[in-house]
Amino acid sequence: MKFKDKIRFVRQNMKKNRMRVFMTILATAIGCAFLILLASVGFGLEKSIISDLTEGRLANEINVYHDKDFNQLNDEDVEILKQIEHVKTVTKRNTLHHEMMFKLEEYESYWPQVYATNFPSEIEAGLELSDGRMPQANDEIIVGYHFNEILTEGNGNEIVYYEEDLIGKTIDLQVIYYDKEEMKQSESFPVKIVGITKQPAPKVKEQFALISEPLLKEIEDFTVEAFLNPEQSNDEDVELNLDKEKTYDDVRIYTNHLENVSGVIEKLNELGYGNYSVTNQLGQINTLFLVIKIGLIFVGTIALLIASIGIFNTMTMSVTERTQDIGIMKAIGAHPSTIKQIFLIESSYIGLIGAFIGTLFAYVISIVINFVTPMIIEALSGNEGATTQDIMLTYIPISLVATSVSISLLVAIFSGWRPAKKATTVDVLKAMRRDI
Amino acid sequence: MIQVKELNHQFKIGKKKRETIIPVLKNINLEVSKGEIVTIVGKSGSGKSTLLNLISGYIRPTEGNIFINNQNVSELSEGDWANFRINHLGFIFQSFQLIPSMTAYQNIELPLILKGASEVARKKQTLDMLEMVGLSDYKAFYPSELSGGQQQRVSIARALIVKPPIILADEPTGSLDSENEQELLNFIQKLNQDHNITFLIITHDDQVAKIGHRTIIIKDGKIQGGRSL
Repeated sequence: MKFKDKIRFVRQNMKKNRMRVFMTILATAIGCAFLILLASVGFGLEKSIISDLTEGRLANEINVYHDKDFNQLNDEDVEILKQIEHVKTVTKRNTLHHEMMFKLEEYESYWPQVYATNFPSEIEAGLELSDGRMPQANDEIIVGYHFNEILTEGNGNEIVYYEEDLIGKTIDLQVIYYDKEEMKQSESFPVKIVGITKQPAPKVKEQFALISEPLLKEIEDFTVEAFLNPEQSNDEDVELNLDKEKTYDDVRIYTNHLENVSGVIEKLNELGYGNYSVTNQLGQINTLFLVIKIGLIFVGTIALLIASIGIFNTMTMSVTERTQDIGIMKAIGAHPSTIKQIFLIESSYIGLIGAFIGTLFAYVISIVINFVTPMIIEALSGNEGATTQDIMLTYIPISLVATSVSISLLVAIFSGWRPAKKATTVDVLKAMRRDI
Repeated sequence: MIQVKELNHQFKIGKKKRETIIPVLKNINLEVSKGEIVTIVGKSGSGKSTLLNLISGYIRPTEGNIFINNQNVSELSEGDWANFRINHLGFIFQSFQLIPSMTAYQNIELPLILKGASEVARKKQTLDMLEMVGLSDYKAFYPSELSGGQQQRVSIARALIVKPPIILADEPTGSLDSENEQELLNFIQKLNQDHNITFLIITHDDQVAKIGHRTIIIKDGKIQGGRSL
């Protein structure tokens, strides 16, 4: 008997008992939807947490904090790091700790984040621009995508942000110091903005400025000279800093491939370098969420098992009602396996339609939950800005749908197995005597 | 074509401790040649239907062998019996045994579906068969909408559709009036003459018994004798 004919038989049989089959499909659909929704909470939370963790970071990036003696990293350390196998490049940044401000026309920015870096290694590490080009001269700088948001004009009552194009603009980097009468003075370093970094992930603000290492040296030379002015230099820290070798505040390693991150971390740990990597962190989180998701799927499967009782009942009734038909079919030459397959296809059909409807239910409910949850949080917290971040309580990936459909199908086959087996053992003579 | 050798069959009644064994057929030997119409007659409870059920493979003999087309069918598994049945045997039952939820067309088509025939071939053969039994206008009728004679013709068409060399009939006229009975007997004789189909017919009706080239009488589970035309 051809598969197509078996399907036709099954559909004819199902049509005979529409209401009963519909109720069984509904029960399966509810079970499947429950399974998907329950597990989707695990997937949703995982996605939210991972996206929070990874925003603004590259997966092949490893931050290195200190050497084995907990000292900041110096050039020698950077060279050692570069020698580690699979390391593509190492970037080193220094934060300018001086009191300073940017001034562009009437717009000012106090206490900006300014980092000195080596641009060629930044390019190699994957620094990308949304506009402009990389610096070529020492007085050329790159600013973060949101830099204009810290350039403001006006007092506290009315603040106006700089909204014109920053590319090509010369901006004053003013370093503040105090003279011998402790009067506030400033030295201006005019720099030209030549590039703006690529737009970061939605929740990340990039308001920094990246200057070249030679410009940092120029600024440092000036500040050291100012501090060393004999009439004001009784600051011990300044003297201490002068004796120290050059170190870096922020050293990052970029591996050539994502799969090499753990190997490089292993080597760093061996060498005693303190480090942090999102990828490494993600590995632990993934394991935790895997356990949570398996647990939720397991609990959800119980709902499907309850639905399977309905399938078993429907199939048993179906076999009982069709005993005479089965007997006649066997009497004229139907193979027992054909009979079994017809009933197994019927229970699988119920399982599959139920899973399909259940998946649709789950998607609709998931969309509603994700739409309503932020509103409820806002209403409960009484704060409009409470949900500026996208909250995803439920997330249904294709893999979850595939898992749920497979479980539904397996449960349906499992439920239909015994009735189908019973159908094959129908006694031809007893079945045919039924209508006499 | 059909050979029954030293066939014994008994039924067991009751549960293990109080089991009673009732012998139904005793040392049956029978041979039916190709193209023959053999009728088996006997009183109710004589064992004639049991003999036909054994030859049909619906029950297994306690002892002895049955050969059909030189194959020992007593040794076939249930699955192999199903395959053998669909390819070699056609069945006509007293109460027609049509599937009530299927139309005349679908009932006739059923053996071809079970055999895995193509849709095109099925359609042609089923329509031909409907015409042959004179029911072309009734193809969309359900069994409950047909008369007894019409239902039996559907049943015969279903038996013939796979072109079996042997047809086993159990009281084929049992549910028919005399007019329909005669019509059916004429049809069986025509099929035998035109297509050389072998018939083994169980009956207690003398009219039916008369169409057989040979008639075998069964009494108390034993073959008592026979008569030839």
